[in-house]
Parts: sequence; C-alpha cells; structure tokens
Amino acid sequence: MKFSLDFALSVVPVILSGLFTTLWITVAACVGASVLGFTFEILRRSNRWLGYVMRFLIDVIRSTPVLVQLYFLYFVMPFYGVTLSAVMAGVLGLSVYYSGYLAEVFKGGIDSIDTGQFEAGKALGLTRMDVVLRIVAPQMLRNVVAPMGNYFVSALKATPYLAVIAVPEMLGIALEVGANSFRYAEPMIAVGIIFLILAVGINQLVRLLEKKMLASSAR
Amino acid sequence: MNQTINAVEISGLNKSYGKFQVLRDIDLSVRANERVVICGPSGSGKSTLIRCINQLETHDSGTVRVNGNVLGKGTPRMHALRRDIGMVFQHFNLFPHLTVLQNCTLALRRARAMTHEQANEVARHYLARVRIPEQQDKYPGQLSGGQQQRVAIARALCMNPKVMLFDEPTSALDPEMIKEVLDVMTDLARDGMTMLCVTHEMAFARTVADRVIFMDAGSIVEQAPPETFFSAPSHPRARQFLSQLL
Repeated sequence: MKFSLDFALSVVPVILSGLFTTLWITVAACVGASVLGFTFEILRRSNRWLGYVMRFLIDVIRSTPVLVQLYFLYFVMPFYGVTLSAVMAGVLGLSVYYSGYLAEVFKGGIDSIDTGQFEAGKALGLTRMDVVLRIVAPQMLRNVVAPMGNYFVSALKATPYLAVIAVPEMLGIALEVGANSFRYAEPMIAVGIIFLILAVGINQLVRLLEKKMLASSAR
Repeated sequence: MNQTINAVEISGLNKSYGKFQVLRDIDLSVRANERVVICGPSGSGKSTLIRCINQLETHDSGTVRVNGNVLGKGTPRMHALRRDIGMVFQHFNLFPHLTVLQNCTLALRRARAMTHEQANEVARHYLARVRIPEQQDKYPGQLSGGQQQRVAIARALCMNPKVMLFDEPTSALDPEMIKEVLDVMTDLARDGMTMLCVTHEMAFARTVADRVIFMDAGSIVEQAPPETFFSAPSHPRARQFLSQLL
C-alpha cells in the first residue's frame, strides 16, 4: 500500500478535532504542574522535617514512569473511592508528573536569588507568603523561563500517553483512524507534523519571553 | 508612648555558630531617641548583634526586648513586630524587579494595608527626604550605589519604624558616594530617630553618636560617649583599633 497524500490531507481535519483537547490539557497540566511544583519546593524549604517529606515525594514522582502514575490515578484510585474522568485523571497525572521536575527547576531558580532579598523582605515585616509571592517568585521566574519552557514542550509531547486511558486527544484519534482504515502511515505522519508545529511554536514563544525577561533584568 | 521603655533592651545574650561563639554575654540598652554606633574589628560580632535585634539571627540564650516586646525563636507574629524595626543593609538589598517607588510601597500596601495612593504618597515623602524624589520610576539597577542605599533608607523609613538598624551602610560604596548616605543618616539622627549603627565611619560616630560601643571577640569591651571614646579609650584593644584607623 502506497502512501497517499490525498488520504493524509483528508485525515488532518479529523485529527485536528482533537487539537483543542490536546492544547487545553497541555495548558492545564502546565499550570497545574507549575503551581504544584512551586508549592512542593516552597514547602521543602519551610522546615527540616517537612523538607525531608517533600524531598522524598519529589523523588518518588520523578522516579516513576508517567504511565504508571496515569494508570494508578485512573484504574487504582477508583478502588479507594476516588473516581476521576479520563480527562481529569490525565490532567492530574501530567500535572503531578511534571511538578516533580519543575520543583527541581524552581529549586535552582530560588537558590540563585541573593539571600539579602529574603532578609530585606523579612526585615520590612512582610509575611512569609508575601516574601514568597512578591519577592521570590518574580525573581525566580526570570531565572527559570528557559528550563520551564522545555518542560512545557515535554508536557505537550506527553499528552499522547493519555490515549491509553481513552482521552480523545490527537494521537488517540489518529490511532482510531488507522484502525478503521487499516492505514497507519498517513495519520501517524500527520499527527507527528502537527506536534512538531506546536512544539516549535512553544519554543519560539519561550525564546521571545526569555529575551524580554533578559531585557528587563538588564535594567 | 511610655518614655521609660527602652527601645532596645538586651541582657545576657549568647550566640554560637557551631563551636564558634559569636556573641558572649551581651548586655545593652538603648533609650528611645538615642544614637548608638557600634564598631570593632571584623568578626567581633557587631553585625550579628544588630541582626539579633530584628531576629534575622536567632540567639541561643539571653533576652532581647525591642519596643517592649520580648523577641526569640518562637515569638508569635514576629513579622508584625519587625514592622517597627527598620533595617538598612550593607548591600542595599533593594528588590531588582520593582521600581524605586514600588520598593518603598510594597510593605506599606502588604503589611500596613494602605491603598496604592496612600502608599505612594508616603513613599514620595520619604524619597524626597533622602533627596532622590526624581528617581521614583527607575529600577534599582539604574541607580548608583549611593542612590540605591538612600532608596533603601527611604524604604525602611516608610514603615515609620521606632528603631533603625544600620549594618555597615557605607561599606559597599565608592568613597565619593559615602558622604551622600552619611548626610541622610545625619539628618535622620538630628530628627531624633533611635539608631543603632554598625560602621567604620569614625567621623560620623563623632558627630552623631550619643554613645560608641566597641566590640571585640563577641563581647562589648568598652562603651562611652564619642568624646571620651576617641580621646581616651580605656581598653587596650580599643586603643589598638583606633590607632590603626588613623
């Protein structure tokens, strides 16, 4: 069976019907992972014992396959009374998985902030929360745009894992097209190209943001 | 305000970093409106002492009482008590991501619950007082060291503190910028601000201080009015220190 360009073009709109799902899951997972990762890292720093607990948690998250985490959320949790929809489990799974990596990124970003910044905030009588959100977070973000962007692209490329729990994202749709037509080359190539375009787009956006941040920190 | 309450009341203060004892049995009281200059060789514990006053460092034993409140490791709402203790650092520690005005207003808005307008008004007042009102929309990185330190002083003053701590405020400055900062501090002293100042600027100590404290190896070895301290230091270590400065 030869590769048919006509068939390839005809499956693109079908696959693109999953684009929205892929995109919003990516965005939700990135936001979730950032918030979770930042919270983990701040808690890790807050005191010694909580620090050990968070360190362990971050290491567990980073050291288990994302598929295991997804299966756990979707197939195991219901036995303990927590039933999540496929999409919810997917977003939560990717959020948790990437939160471990982002916590490490944030650690580096916070370590590179001068301790005088924390002290100045403290000396002014700001609460811990205000020091974290108003002084640490904005300065940290300047340091971590590039590595954060990498993980965002990685999260986009991890959305096809959700096909295994039947989330209607692009790879799942492409597989379905393949199964129905017995032609896999066209849908796989199409879905690959769509992901490529999205990933390049995110990378460009991150680079732009990085440039802007560099310009503002040069002030 | 009860005039009998000392601004700072420290007794039997000890602190160690591991085996190294930085502060030994420090007793110190500072009255309201008093200007105290703390000097001594590096490593003598001067900075640690004033950092214990706003609990950026916690002490091992002894008591620290500031504005009538006992401060220590478990003091509840420590952040609220720090609002009445201003601090100026050697390296300014301005927030680089905020403008000069925002540096001054952040704590007013977050800790004093002021609106933007109220906070801006207070901040402009103090920026004018440190003679830098025209720089309010610049970022710290765009200012000279002397200007940055004056902004840092304004930022601390905005909170209307009862005590001001200065931790070697001119040590990181180029010589030609030291004067502009000392002038601001001298003005502040004339207006009756309670000040504790760690500095090596002896001319400043002589004109401004009510009392000079000399520290060595974690202890206060001599304290006297500046005239006495500079003309007739009684402790040999102080004599040696002063002779090296001249």
